[in-house]
Amino acid sequence: MSEPLQPLGEDAMVALEELLAASGLARAELLELVEFGALEPLVSGDHWLFLSSCILQARRAARLRDDFGLNPAGMALALAYLERIDELERRLQELECQILR
Amino acid sequence: MKYKDYYEILGVARDASQEDIKKAYRKLARKYHPDVSKEKDAEERFKEINEAHQTLSDPEKRAAYDQLGRHRPGEEFRPPPGWEREFRFQEGNLDDFIDLSELFERFGGGARRGGRAGRGTFAMPGQDYEVTAHLTLEEVDRGAEVSLELSAPEMTPDGEIHRVPKTIRVRVPKGATDGQRLRVPGKGGPGVNGGPPGDLYLNIVLRPHPLYKASGHDLYLELPVTPWEAVLGADIEVPTLGGRVKMTVRPGSRAGQKLRLAGKGLPTQRGGHGDFYCVLQVVTPTALSEREKQLYDELARISSFNPRAHLG
Repeated sequence: MSEPLQPLGEDAMVALEELLAASGLARAELLELVEFGALEPLVSGDHWLFLSSCILQARRAARLRDDFGLNPAGMALALAYLERIDELERRLQELECQILR
Repeated sequence: MKYKDYYEILGVARDASQEDIKKAYRKLARKYHPDVSKEKDAEERFKEINEAHQTLSDPEKRAAYDQLGRHRPGEEFRPPPGWEREFRFQEGNLDDFIDLSELFERFGGGARRGGRAGRGTFAMPGQDYEVTAHLTLEEVDRGAEVSLELSAPEMTPDGEIHRVPKTIRVRVPKGATDGQRLRVPGKGGPGVNGGPPGDLYLNIVLRPHPLYKASGHDLYLELPVTPWEAVLGADIEVPTLGGRVKMTVRPGSRAGQKLRLAGKGLPTQRGGHGDFYCVLQVVTPTALSEREKQLYDELARISSFNPRAHLG
């Protein structure tokens, strides 16, 4: 039997090309998302590298583009709000853990 | 093939205008889009809504769909004779299709999600697979090997998408958290015409634990103590994932107070550990012996403690 699959760790990095391929975003869209600060390369310059968690963000952006017709500004705004909601939900979960039954 | 009522899914009349269909779709997409919605079945609903919209917003597909006739949702039906010839339907046997959405994918060849699929002879990346792993706290604590079933969308060389049942084994590393999404590059569907394979995405969902609640890598345990343990203090043994640990409840502890055991939570991927918290719950006895009642009576008489002093 073959070896089980190994997911990438959270420290793994991806190059720009891989991020584009995995997300379905166009290069121009991705560059705009970086300009808006919605995605941040860990290493910039000639060879951009992103933390692999950026793939999830970029895929989210592409889904929002496909399903709502959002442009990069809209995607960046939606990502910012969704990130805030994620953060609030983490905080909510933390507080719920402290509530006595 | 099972019938799906696309009009009912979008909540529009059968003679709805394209404009009405678009409006209905937008409203529902906003409500059920899995990135936006917290509705329980959002993902499933959104898939249906998208499918209904893709068919009804295309006049040709809509005409073909209307010709299928009206059936009850879920009812088994067969397209009327000659149906596939009347419409721009690609070659192939209708009996091969188990799903209405697959049938309509054969029309045209419109862009699909992310532009990852389509027809043609150029190289195309494979489909991404997405699968959910339900894990226990013990499994994310130690890391676990899981076997997962998925119905994998796979594209044939001529661009058709079929669903194939698959079993995959994944090594979930220590330190995965609830809601985390892990990626296994290149382990999705095979590419077409020399394109690269898709990726596999694994959603981690933690099963509820009878004792602990998890928040990220931190664990919480509700720790019941007696009123006298809270007042006088006590050394109590508490069960952690790594075994029993002695913990000191200080004199004068309150209900809801958090006691922290640093580094006794879940492991992180970077080799550290979250913290373990005991949340004190002061439990009062309900069945008292005569002697216990006497002691409480005496305490009530001699104590000058007034927790409501500030209420005046």
